[in-house]
Amino acid sequence: MIKQISELWRWQVLWADWPKFAVAFLKTLEIAFFALALALCLGVIFGLMSTSHNRLLRGIARVYVEFFQNTPLAIQVFFVFFALPYAGITLSKVTIGILCVGTYTGAYMSEAVRAGIGSIPKGQFEAAQSQGFTYIQTMALIILPQTIKIILPPMVNQMVNLVKNTSIVTMIAGGDLMYRANAFATNGTMSYGPSYLVCGILYFILCFPLTRWARRYEDRLKQRDVQTNLEIEKMEEELV
Amino acid sequence: MKKLLALLLSVTMLFALAACGGGDDSASTGRTPGDIAADGVLKVGVKTDVPGFGLLDTVDNTYSGIEIDLSYKIAEELGIDKVEFTPVTAATRGQLLDSGDIDMVAATFTITDERKQSWNFTTPYYIDAVSLLVKKDSGIEGIADLADKVIGVSTGSTSMQALIAAAADQEVTLTDDNFSEFATYPEIKAALDSGRVDAFCVDGSILAGYVDDTNHILESVRFSPQEYGLATKKDNTEWAEYLENLITGWLEDGTIAQIVADNGVVASFEAE
Repeated sequence: MIKQISELWRWQVLWADWPKFAVAFLKTLEIAFFALALALCLGVIFGLMSTSHNRLLRGIARVYVEFFQNTPLAIQVFFVFFALPYAGITLSKVTIGILCVGTYTGAYMSEAVRAGIGSIPKGQFEAAQSQGFTYIQTMALIILPQTIKIILPPMVNQMVNLVKNTSIVTMIAGGDLMYRANAFATNGTMSYGPSYLVCGILYFILCFPLTRWARRYEDRLKQRDVQTNLEIEKMEEELV
Repeated sequence: MKKLLALLLSVTMLFALAACGGGDDSASTGRTPGDIAADGVLKVGVKTDVPGFGLLDTVDNTYSGIEIDLSYKIAEELGIDKVEFTPVTAATRGQLLDSGDIDMVAATFTITDERKQSWNFTTPYYIDAVSLLVKKDSGIEGIADLADKVIGVSTGSTSMQALIAAAADQEVTLTDDNFSEFATYPEIKAALDSGRVDAFCVDGSILAGYVDDTNHILESVRFSPQEYGLATKKDNTEWAEYLENLITGWLEDGTIAQIVADNGVVASFEAE
């Protein structure tokens, strides 16, 4: 690997193919973006369902989470790609990537949301109810905003995992970044060294800003918390 | 500034990680025939899913095929009787050689000028031709029908380039969009069965293992001779020469022709 990376001509061969890598990079971005949107929606919906008082809703959420958490993503993708056409359903590879990665990550996100809601003191719900808030208002205006700083770290973990998991579509020749890197690494001059290194760096470029942003956002939220606490302390002191 | 530093550090770490992964290849040039004989084990990378060449019987965990027989024959020459087989795919075989995990690759590895830049190859012990497997009801009769079709190929095989060239001869343009690369042959077969790809393109010997009632190999389409050679690490010249002498010798005295016939494989393809 090191030897290949140090050979300049391999980099020249790679450079000549950069448009293909660019197309693949965009495809990975496309899958990641829509899968993330889907995962967030599913995460919130099923997270709410699993904390609801309705047993049926809770049951449905449980089944969803357990099914997707306990079967490999690869099997899910293979099933949709190879088996569904027999039932007359032929989805495009990008759609499969978005659907499978989105629903898979959604299961993990819903667990994070559930844990977040569970950590909010019961008094908050009761207070909201006593003020005449409906269920949706309570959740949207009072509970969920408070859960954000609790669930942010696990959520971002899942987001980064999601970006990396999009490489699963390589197995069904999805044309994403990993697929292109693989194809380049194993065809022609077989320059796997430069190919995989560039592929790794490109994934890094996608994931790194995400984790940095989350860290900063989390810090800001915590800072705001400290300030609020200080103010409360001050008020208390004044009262005494 | 701090942010930039953090980024720089991370990228350096990435490089360092890459360095760890490939540490072996700069360290040694690989084992000489003497080393292998002294060690008593010959390590060979083989296919597990190619009938007649390298096939793993999962019931009793034994390998069979031309490339297996050839490996034992080489071990015999080295004066040892133990051969350790490592399953490889088109995508992993080169890297396993470079890392020193295996001494040679005998896995329907087609010799090309580009690949010769990275590894040593012996004189071909078998010459195959690329062919197409299609569903009987697909209506595909030749390369001319492929322009708007999707063709399944194996990641890291030469079939794709060979088919593009053969199609160009018939004034059919095939692009990247016409191909889907899969990691293993069974996946391509599954893709063909489910209609995800319209044709399965790879060396004829390999295709023969996937023929069933619903599909057939296009007998009229046989192109691009594929020369299979034993591959070894680029800088291990002593070992490469040793194997080269064995293969050329066995080609002359008919040993290899016998092995091919014993495994029920058709004789090498002769290009017109």
